[in-house]
Amino acid sequence: MEQLKKRLSLLSAILDAFIQAPETVDYPYGPLELADGFRGAIVFDTEKCIGCGLCVRNCPAEALHFDKKSREEYRLIHYPARCAYCAQCEDDCRHGAIYHSNHLVSPTTNPEGLVVILHEKKKE
Amino acid sequence: MIEGYFYLLLFPGLVFQVICGLAFEWLDRKLLALFQRRVGPPWYQPLADMIKLFSKEDILPKGTNDLIASLLPLISLCSVLTAGLYVPIAGFSPYSFEGDLIVILFLMSVPTLAYYLAGIVSIGIYSVLGGGRSLLQYFSFEVPYLIALSGPAVMGGSWSVAGIMASQFTLGPFILFQPLGFILAIVGLIGKLKRDPLDIPSAKSEVVGGSLTEFTGLKIALWHLVMNVQAVVGIFLLINLYLGWTKLANPIIAIIVFIVEFLIITGMLSAASAVFARLRIDQLAGVGWKILVPLALAQLAFVILMGV
Amino acid sequence: MNKISIPIGPQHPLIKEPLSMKIDISGERVLGGSLRLGYVHRGIERLAQTRNYVKNVYLIERVCGICSHIHTTTYCHAVEALLDIIIPPRAYYLRALMCELERIHSHLLWLGILAKHVGLDTIFMHTWHDRELALDIMEEITGGRVLHGANQVGGVRFDLDKTHDAMIRSTVQKLKTQVEGLVDVIENEPALIARTKGVAPVSAEMIRKYCVVGPVARASGVDVDMRRDNPLPPYDQLEFSVVTHPDGDAWARTVVRAEETHESLNLCERILSDLPDGPVSTRVPRNVPAGEVIIRSEAPRGELFYYLRSDGTDKPARLKIRTPTIPALCLLPEQMSAIQVADIPVVMAGVDLCVACADR
Repeated sequence: MEQLKKRLSLLSAILDAFIQAPETVDYPYGPLELADGFRGAIVFDTEKCIGCGLCVRNCPAEALHFDKKSREEYRLIHYPARCAYCAQCEDDCRHGAIYHSNHLVSPTTNPEGLVVILHEKKKE
Repeated sequence: MIEGYFYLLLFPGLVFQVICGLAFEWLDRKLLALFQRRVGPPWYQPLADMIKLFSKEDILPKGTNDLIASLLPLISLCSVLTAGLYVPIAGFSPYSFEGDLIVILFLMSVPTLAYYLAGIVSIGIYSVLGGGRSLLQYFSFEVPYLIALSGPAVMGGSWSVAGIMASQFTLGPFILFQPLGFILAIVGLIGKLKRDPLDIPSAKSEVVGGSLTEFTGLKIALWHLVMNVQAVVGIFLLINLYLGWTKLANPIIAIIVFIVEFLIITGMLSAASAVFARLRIDQLAGVGWKILVPLALAQLAFVILMGV
Repeated sequence: MNKISIPIGPQHPLIKEPLSMKIDISGERVLGGSLRLGYVHRGIERLAQTRNYVKNVYLIERVCGICSHIHTTTYCHAVEALLDIIIPPRAYYLRALMCELERIHSHLLWLGILAKHVGLDTIFMHTWHDRELALDIMEEITGGRVLHGANQVGGVRFDLDKTHDAMIRSTVQKLKTQVEGLVDVIENEPALIARTKGVAPVSAEMIRKYCVVGPVARASGVDVDMRRDNPLPPYDQLEFSVVTHPDGDAWARTVVRAEETHESLNLCERILSDLPDGPVSTRVPRNVPAGEVIIRSEAPRGELFYYLRSDGTDKPARLKIRTPTIPALCLLPEQMSAIQVADIPVVMAGVDLCVACADR
């Protein structure tokens, strides 16, 4: 009897599954829940950035580019298509200027055109 | 004359059976998805697949015989559509005659031979392997299917499906007297349709697509239609031979009962394909000849003895 | 009958990653096969010499998708051994927690693939649904389902608090019931037993000759497990049992992996209760003193071997990785001698291919 019950356990599993709701989400027509710590799009706070360049040094995908002409004139560029979303820049920045939000990056058909100028400071 | 064209082309001929075939495919895929906690396709998916396949390029490897490769799905489709003309639908069968059970079973075996020939004619490695396996499976599963289906014929005293169905009013539905025969007929039907778990000829992990690996475009759309219509005709046959409450006085109730029985048998086929694993080809021949054939013969002997 | 040669080629429904096998068959009997690798070679060992030690953590993580965490753990242990620093004990325990979760998700993935090749699609879907529970835990605590980014040289990059603790415990409990149900179904499904019992048995001498490691070796009775034989901290303070099986066939490999999943779930709970307090990382200098080190650890597929040599700068001089899939793949043509065509998927799934690991 135990043997028969165990052999029928798959049948009861599929009938259980038939009654419950499906597990897959109908994205993008349905809602999508992401975890809090999910590493999404880069957010930059220009007030806190001092132009030290620590975030660029350890970026594994070389997605950050820093043009520094002097202490008052520099430009920080981010390439979202090359970015690996690893949050190493977030760990390296000592002032909390660059960090990941919780949002997905939208797909695009032109990845080379994705260039975001994060911080541009010109001499007055 | 006009009536003849109506029966042939609309009901119960071409259009009705194609629509039933597409509905069966949708039901099967949706039930399987719900058993596996997925969402499943929307209702128009099989029709959309067919229309998309019509627009694809139709190529075959160099060296295949294009004429035979084009004729095989057409001949199979015509056979199963003709077989469907003789099966009563909710009690209505315009063309039944004495002995049409044999004709139906013969016409439903044509696609299997065509499947084997399709594997040979498209000269790829996987096609030839799949074709050989399909013939071996056919020999193992057709015999218990035919023996099991002779049970209702003997009990009903006639070789026409409409006659067998009519004789169930006085005797009661035959599933009550021959439950083993019903189970064997369903197993034989799964083997004939080459569905999971008896889809060894087209096991995706071993032979990539079986006989139909090289077919694309219009031809594969026709092959899918052949499989669906064959399934539908097989299910209608089972309903009429074993669950024959379908010629009732009120035609609306007869149609509703017919649809409910169709849904139940489709549910059983989908559950069987979800629960069981695929056997190897040598184990399959063992199961077919060592277990199923003796059971079928025992059921037939029981029926004959009961009649005496 | 004639001998024909079928390609399980770079593209085939049977394999997830490209490799090329040419199998000679005659009718339904398989006569032998030959193997060719290298389709996913990315040159990671060479690329590691052009990046500094911090960037290399993310490069090493992408050697394999299924066992990404154990690669970074072994690499970080190697660099910390060269730097001669001790990282906080809480970091060791958190690394072990992620390693065990990864073992669970890898074995559940493998179970689904085996069921799919045998024809049981339903078990494939249900197993991968349960695997999502393990991936959900990993996403909650580290931020990524597959590429976690959990390790850094000097510790880990995430921490657990009270809510995480409660969530992990309840999910592990749920996983335990699900895994027990799955194992019940697998061990009593007659078609699965018929397809895997007695198929391609491998003797212990063959295992030693090809230096096969991991669950494939343990399923033939060879008792080798790096977590017990050569433990990295904290495995020297955790108690667990090593599962072996005397037959060497595909059924033994199934049973060994199913039991190991159960052991890993128990280990997760033990790690959570033994978790010490404290910081999770320390600062490390940029330049690593010269030296060479060998670190071995237990990946889900067997023993992982890292050799690292540094020359005093901030980039490694030589990094050598030997993954456990390489000897198992070399064993594959040997196993193809006495089986039928229908057994090929079972044999190839039993070896638990991860060609990305083998090709690097």
